[in-house]
Amino acid sequence: MIHHVMGVDGSYPLLVALWLLPLAGAIFWWTFGPQLKALAGWLGSAAIAGSFVLTLLSWGAGTQSQGGALGAHQALLSWMSGFDFGLLLDPLSLLWTSIITGVGFLIHFYSIGYMDGDRAFARFFAYMNFFVFAMLTLVLSDNFIGLLVGWGLVGLASYFLIGFWFERPSAVAAARKAFVMNVVGDVGMMFAIFIIVANVHSIGFGDAFAGAGALAGPSFFHLPLLVWVCIGLFIGAAAKSAQVPLHTWLPDAMEGPTPVSALIHAATMVTAGVYLVARCSPFWSASGDAQLLVGTIGGITALLGAILGCAQWDIKRILAYSTMSQIGYMIMGVGVGAYEGGVAHFFTHAFFKAQLFLGSGLIIHALNNEQDVRRMGGLAKKLPFAFVAMLVGVLAISGVPGLSGFFSKDAVIYGALEHRHPWLYGVGVLTAGITAYYMFRLLFVTFFGTYRGGVDPSDLGIRHPELAGTMPASHAQEGDAAHEAEHHHAPSWIMNLPVAILIVPSIVAGWLMVGGANSPWSRFFASQFAPIQETGQAVAPSISEGVTSLVVLALVAAGFAIAFVRYGTRAAQADAVARLRSESVHMSPLLTNLFYFDAFYDLIVVRTSQLFGTLFGRGVDPHVIDGTVREAAYAAGQIGGLMRLLQTGLVRFYALVLVFGAACFIVYYALAFGVAR
Amino acid sequence: MEIPFTQADWNAVIPVAIVAVTALVVLLADLVALESVERYVSIGVGLAGCAAAAVFAAAQFGHDYNAFFGSFMTGGFTTVFEEIVLVAAAGSLILYGSIGPRARVGGTTALLLWSTCGAMLMAGAANLMMIFLGLELLSLGLYCLCGLVDRKSARESALKYLILSSTASGFMLFGMALLFGASGSVLLSDLVNPILANDPLFVMGACMFFIGLAFKLSLVPFHTWTPDVYEGAPLPVTAYMSVATKAATIAVLARFAYAALPSPIADRLLLPVWILAGLSMIAGNVGMLAQHDLKRLIAYSGIAQVGYILAALAGGTPLGLRYAIYYLTAYAFMNLGAFAVAAALSTESEEGSRLSNYRGLGRRRPLLAAAMTFFLLAMAGLPPTAGFLGKILILATAVGSGFTWLAALLIVGTAISLYAYAKVIRAMYERGEHRTHDARPFVPLAWASAAVCLLAILLMTFYPLTPSNVLPLVK
Repeated sequence: MIHHVMGVDGSYPLLVALWLLPLAGAIFWWTFGPQLKALAGWLGSAAIAGSFVLTLLSWGAGTQSQGGALGAHQALLSWMSGFDFGLLLDPLSLLWTSIITGVGFLIHFYSIGYMDGDRAFARFFAYMNFFVFAMLTLVLSDNFIGLLVGWGLVGLASYFLIGFWFERPSAVAAARKAFVMNVVGDVGMMFAIFIIVANVHSIGFGDAFAGAGALAGPSFFHLPLLVWVCIGLFIGAAAKSAQVPLHTWLPDAMEGPTPVSALIHAATMVTAGVYLVARCSPFWSASGDAQLLVGTIGGITALLGAILGCAQWDIKRILAYSTMSQIGYMIMGVGVGAYEGGVAHFFTHAFFKAQLFLGSGLIIHALNNEQDVRRMGGLAKKLPFAFVAMLVGVLAISGVPGLSGFFSKDAVIYGALEHRHPWLYGVGVLTAGITAYYMFRLLFVTFFGTYRGGVDPSDLGIRHPELAGTMPASHAQEGDAAHEAEHHHAPSWIMNLPVAILIVPSIVAGWLMVGGANSPWSRFFASQFAPIQETGQAVAPSISEGVTSLVVLALVAAGFAIAFVRYGTRAAQADAVARLRSESVHMSPLLTNLFYFDAFYDLIVVRTSQLFGTLFGRGVDPHVIDGTVREAAYAAGQIGGLMRLLQTGLVRFYALVLVFGAACFIVYYALAFGVAR
Repeated sequence: MEIPFTQADWNAVIPVAIVAVTALVVLLADLVALESVERYVSIGVGLAGCAAAAVFAAAQFGHDYNAFFGSFMTGGFTTVFEEIVLVAAAGSLILYGSIGPRARVGGTTALLLWSTCGAMLMAGAANLMMIFLGLELLSLGLYCLCGLVDRKSARESALKYLILSSTASGFMLFGMALLFGASGSVLLSDLVNPILANDPLFVMGACMFFIGLAFKLSLVPFHTWTPDVYEGAPLPVTAYMSVATKAATIAVLARFAYAALPSPIADRLLLPVWILAGLSMIAGNVGMLAQHDLKRLIAYSGIAQVGYILAALAGGTPLGLRYAIYYLTAYAFMNLGAFAVAAALSTESEEGSRLSNYRGLGRRRPLLAAAMTFFLLAMAGLPPTAGFLGKILILATAVGSGFTWLAALLIVGTAISLYAYAKVIRAMYERGEHRTHDARPFVPLAWASAAVCLLAILLMTFYPLTPSNVLPLVK
């Protein structure tokens, strides 16, 4: 069998080091946490910084190209034939590695301030480092098993971190929900991997992609195996990246500390699905059906996330739905075959979304864990730095020209048109307008007008503070709210610095994509996706890119205008309390129930499982299974007793058994050979 | 008188000669060494001899040579089995060093080494006489070793083994005589002659011969001696016996099955052996259920494990042989490892093989309990152990060569065995009151060899190398 390896084979100690450094950190902080105390935060950040530096040093290795092989390949372990494990650093994984370690470092650093005083400070950094290791395993593996291991480990890290404040039942429930939904995805992925291994006899990416043709041939239930592989892989991707209909865990995951939301549930882990589709681009490029499926799901998710984002009051939940929506964009991009565009949106989104989350963390921290935007207002004067940070983030995500989000979102939307999916293009344009609306709504309600922390929650339409996402801790001190407003926590420079640094790429990161085919971005990925697109279906659409940009801009302006009229005008600001109350009370039940996804799962999955559980627990288990086991145990005991009869311990009896056996032997030979002749 | 043998003939048996001479050296050293260090001198010299023999045996890998007019074959097959036997001997010596008697171990060591010589001769024997010579040398040493401890059960064990084994040897010798009568030669290479297929004398000879082999492999129903003998013998001897006897006998059986039977009737001749292998998988595992002593447990477990190994050989394919060797190697390490843990739990007055000693071990000796759990999981064939991988490979080769029924019996047997192994593991990690051990003997040698076995199994799991070109030859 010819062995296909992606990347230039060789020895890359830096690559191994950057992969293992966070693991070493995690083990160390976990073991010596109590002794390290506050030092754990600094050391934990330093481990990720070291990993980032090593990534930069590996840049040359990752972008090298030799005889068609792209990037660096480090073999690690060779098991049975076809089971070779190694690391692969090519432009795609290099991009992810840089974001994971770079943005990861900034968020670690921010956490030193945010988690200050938490009694499990060292444990937090152990988990965070462990997450970075798991995520690196995911993106650096050169084979499907390694990918799956990373895939499972990031789910585990996510479980740990969502449930970090495990004394809160809601956090534990959210962690469990995220884990269970991700396992659904893992099972889908496992089946895809089974099909791959059974047909190409190898777990390596190189072998699998070289064998994509072999997979396209045989069919199963009227669909080629390749489509089944894509469906299985995408079930995993959809669960991890919160795509419809497996998205409901992501908003709940906001129960975790804000830096966790920024790192795991915005910048890196949730984009693993985008990585998977981009990594397996040869599969998708070879299957139009799979492209249509993934592109459609991405488009639906983008739209649905944006609509639900309009109906949220919890600042982190608004951002969670916007994350879901933006990942929908990315999935749509890589799904339809616009790999560069989808990956570009991951790149810019990592910056501005991390910044939005960290900015909201500044607010939450300052307001003593208040998360409901209705109880904010007028914060622009009180928290000017947070305002600037959020403003830049909002402008970037809305796609205002010149900021990073504009270029990458444009690439995705125009990519849908280029690959002949006009209605996905329409969805993309519409979603861009809605995005502008709900993000400016967030901005206006939070930062403009007057501070509403002292207003009685029921006047704002908050019926159940816990359900609205407000922490019990804060409404216990409701009486002091007005007093408290005067005593904001001053965010320390430790928290401000990473946000300030993130502002820069949030603005400029998109500039890399200027220049069409000659842009730095296109040249970076020239060899990664280019060979695929030659066979792809990219055709020049009748509308030019400039025109579609203008269409998008018009809708963005409309979204902004609506948000301004509803929340931004002087009249609206003066009447804010009544208006917010009216909006809360009169919100459509369809939106407050999030399109009934959770209710549906509860009815179909949870209730049915409970029913089966009861049935098996009360009926089948005690009577059928236990009964069988008891009978089997009894029978085994009886047979054991018979064996004991043989085991008399008397030599003469043993000799008798021996002779009996010999007699059987002789009779067999006599019959087998005597009769035959 | 002119000696008709060349230098190459003598080179072929150098590993065996080294072990035999080492035994003599041990006896001499025993006379001159101070009583305080005598035990370490004997064990040390013995281990050194085994190591040297292993090196020389390894050097013969790939050098096929038919020494002494076709009596002894060197080559890959012989080397692999010699190495397994040497590992068993070394493991047993180490256990002797850690829990054996304080003095006068020279004789025991020498007997063990001579017995090893017998097993090594069987590994390379290509001549009926050489097979019998090896087998008797192996067994004679073991009769003495089983009884060489002042305990009633040990004497009983030795006597039972002697009487029953002699009976089986009688069958085998009679079979050999018939084979010789039919073919007119003692060379295995002359048994391949297709004319013999029609000779009833030959068929009956093979029948008797296989009865003898089945006894040595303790296949059902020739297994009855195994639990009693294992239980009575000193622990290091049991460890040696459970690996070396089986490895050497499997070598003889494999050489017969692969190279020394006339092809027209080979399948029909061997079928009863495979049937007994299938029965052994079930009966061995069922027998495990009611045991209260680790040695008896492993005796029954070994009955079943040999069945698994034979299932790999049944198809007669080269790949099957490689997988059988892989599993046999794993089996050697898991048995030696389990016995090493038992040795580490032994006290002056009692060997640590009674299963009641293991209750609550997870609390008292967590590392030993973890190691024991690992070895038991390996025997049960659960991942991540070489036992699992070996079973998968055996299943694949058995199904592939048309012995699906053996594969099915293997799965059923494994399912039964899980219960027996899990019972021990559960006892080790059970909460609640347990026998408190006041004495906490620290037995570094036993400890170390358990660790080595564990590492070896892990290595085998992640680097599953099976030697190629190990097909047995007869000329």
